[in-house]
Amino acid sequence: MKKFLIKTALYTVLILIALELLVRALHLYTEDPPRFIDEYGVEKRVPGHNGYAVTGNRNQNFSEFNINSSGFNSYREYTPTKEDFEIALIGDSFIEGFHQDYDESTGKKIEIALDTVEVYEYGYAGYDLANQMHLINAYQDQFELIDEIIIYLNYESDLNRGVYEPNKQRIAMLRSTVFKIRDNIKLLAYGSKIGIVDPIKNLITGKAFQDTEQGYETNKIEIPERKEKEYLENFKSLVSLYGFDKCKTTILLDSRKTSESFLEYCDENNIKYLDFAPTFESSKKPVTLIYDHHWNNHGRELIASVISNYMMSREVSQDCQ
Amino acid sequence: MLFNSIEFLIFLPIVFLLYWFVFKNNTKIQNVFIIFASYLFYGWWDWRFLLLIFLSTLVDFFVGQKIYQHLDEKKKARYWLWVSMAFNIGMLGFFKYSNFFVDSFIDMFHAFGYDIKSTWTLRIILPVGISFYTFQTMSYSFDIYYKKLKPTQNFIAFTAFVSFFPQLVAGPIERASNLLSQITNKRTFSYDQASSGLKLILWGFFKKLVIADALAPIVDDIFANYHTYPASTLILGVCLFSFQVYGDFSGYSDIAIGTAKLFGVELMSNFKFPNFSRNVAEYWQRWHISLSTWFRHYLYIPMGGSRVSQLRAVRNIAVIFLVSGFWHGANWTFIFWGGLHALFYIPVFLMGRNRMYADNVVGEKTLLPTPVEILQVLLTFVLVTFSRIFFRSPSLTDSFQYINQIASNFTYEAYVHPMGYRMLDFYILLALFIIYEYLIRRHEREPFKFKSKIVRFFLYTVVVLAMLLFYDDGVNRSFIYFQF
Repeated sequence: MKKFLIKTALYTVLILIALELLVRALHLYTEDPPRFIDEYGVEKRVPGHNGYAVTGNRNQNFSEFNINSSGFNSYREYTPTKEDFEIALIGDSFIEGFHQDYDESTGKKIEIALDTVEVYEYGYAGYDLANQMHLINAYQDQFELIDEIIIYLNYESDLNRGVYEPNKQRIAMLRSTVFKIRDNIKLLAYGSKIGIVDPIKNLITGKAFQDTEQGYETNKIEIPERKEKEYLENFKSLVSLYGFDKCKTTILLDSRKTSESFLEYCDENNIKYLDFAPTFESSKKPVTLIYDHHWNNHGRELIASVISNYMMSREVSQDCQ
Repeated sequence: MLFNSIEFLIFLPIVFLLYWFVFKNNTKIQNVFIIFASYLFYGWWDWRFLLLIFLSTLVDFFVGQKIYQHLDEKKKARYWLWVSMAFNIGMLGFFKYSNFFVDSFIDMFHAFGYDIKSTWTLRIILPVGISFYTFQTMSYSFDIYYKKLKPTQNFIAFTAFVSFFPQLVAGPIERASNLLSQITNKRTFSYDQASSGLKLILWGFFKKLVIADALAPIVDDIFANYHTYPASTLILGVCLFSFQVYGDFSGYSDIAIGTAKLFGVELMSNFKFPNFSRNVAEYWQRWHISLSTWFRHYLYIPMGGSRVSQLRAVRNIAVIFLVSGFWHGANWTFIFWGGLHALFYIPVFLMGRNRMYADNVVGEKTLLPTPVEILQVLLTFVLVTFSRIFFRSPSLTDSFQYINQIASNFTYEAYVHPMGYRMLDFYILLALFIIYEYLIRRHEREPFKFKSKIVRFFLYTVVVLAMLLFYDDGVNRSFIYFQF
């Protein structure tokens, strides 16, 4: 019995070591560059980090990221001038683009399409509209020099609050010992990413004993009228708190997932929005990634074409001059 | 409790350590502990149905004594055997088949133009494993009746035999002559047995988590949307289902057999690489062995088996397969599936080739199979896989429409899963799995039988790595055969 227990333990440890080495060698784990809150209260990445983000169990998406000196994933530095034409693209993980090589981002595609513009991508996983509006306000010196602002709004999840508060708890949690251990043991980081440690987490948190028969449908989100009103109030609150330059700001949205009352409000108040739903709907190829709802390369190309076409039409009309 | 759950991962080592360290000196206490652990294991799913297991135990323990007392009076012995059968089949009939009979009755009247409202249909939960443990307890009464076994006087041992958790909910369906004697006698810890058990558990998990669970979303998609897919995808779907159901059920059996070994108990083999069968008869000697031998011993042979006129033997075969189909589920699809297997089996039987491969494996004397063997294996796989359309479809109409869609839309188109799974990964996985299973085709209980420790360690690592690579947290992890 003693031999059995010792050998079982020994083999378990050896297999775990071998797996750790294999997970590292095959780079199955994803890297998450550290986050912080700067002196303006903006939550972003610590500048100067490079690495690879991985999606799916078997490296189904493998992409390189580069955190520039401004703390965002981009191949360029952000130095707006009065002379050049800059576009700021602000949003959550869809704009941060850890699902693509940083030099093939949506911003880069817009730059290629428009030739003479620079696109600054202020993307950060977890941003909602409060984060985004606060960022514009906090970096107003920069944004005064930027010519166009595109804010990506995911209506279903980005309007839950009307005031910005930096999420210090999340930063503290990510810096905690538990998370440091997770990030350093790549096998654990990988297991955590693919959900293999979820049953253990559920057991510890007691979720495992709760009724799970109800199930859920991820693609079917209905927003009740009460929520619609709340979202609109939050939007109004954010506009009044952080300002909204109607002349150079456009909201990028998917009208299929946005309430009509919100769109009506934008129309009534001359808030420009750019709807990419028709373009996505007419696409014959999938627009999202494997195992993931983020845009794939084709989806990003479509978004870039929607934005660049819009910019070209705006250059002609010069409607704010 | 599912084998592939975190609860079982905690449950197993605790039960193992208590069993060997705390209760090892007293077989009776060890058996009480087995009962406790088994009832906990089963009750984790739904404690209310523990009563059914206990009742089945009680009835057959008592009936076993009665049959034995009246063995000289055939009529009385048969009466008590009927009591056992009436109770167990009655319980099975109520929980598993009552709605099927009501619905079929209504459908039959509907066919004659009478509309009956289905007010008799009941909301009945199918107790997990009921088809397995009722058959196991019935085998005890049968064995006593056929004088193959003396009834035990040890109620605790008998209760442990009926409820032994590794095989309680999905088999192998044990015989008292094998399992009860092991439970009655003192067990001693054996390093070789326990380590072989762990290896079998590892291999079972691989088959379940990597083969079955990885293929499940693809198979589910194809069968749910079969009317939109071309023939190539539908054929792919049913082929993948063949591997899914094999991985799922044989994986469960391996984990069950491996777990039993940890407790010093040897269960019977349930699968012997059925995908390498050279005809349908060999397939049934290698697939769900504990059930097919159950039907052979307790139904086919009592009906006369093959020692009757050829016509009656053919009838016996047809009955066995139809009943076996019905055992799988209260649906005409399963009966049809059984009927198809009878149709495949009968020609083999009539040609006298049904026992031809009973004692050898494909590539018996050579490294590679001969071209003839390859053709035989492929043909058997095609037949068995074709029958699985009925096994997997929710209704006979769907089964026939699936087949019709293959015939009417006989085109090729590369399959793309809606979630965008990289299909090449699965094809490589299956190819490697088939090659590996071929290499170990003689050793269903020793999947890592290689002399070199380095090779064995490499294989363990690869198997666990594959579990990580193909883990899909969106998959329903319960075992397919739980529904039976």
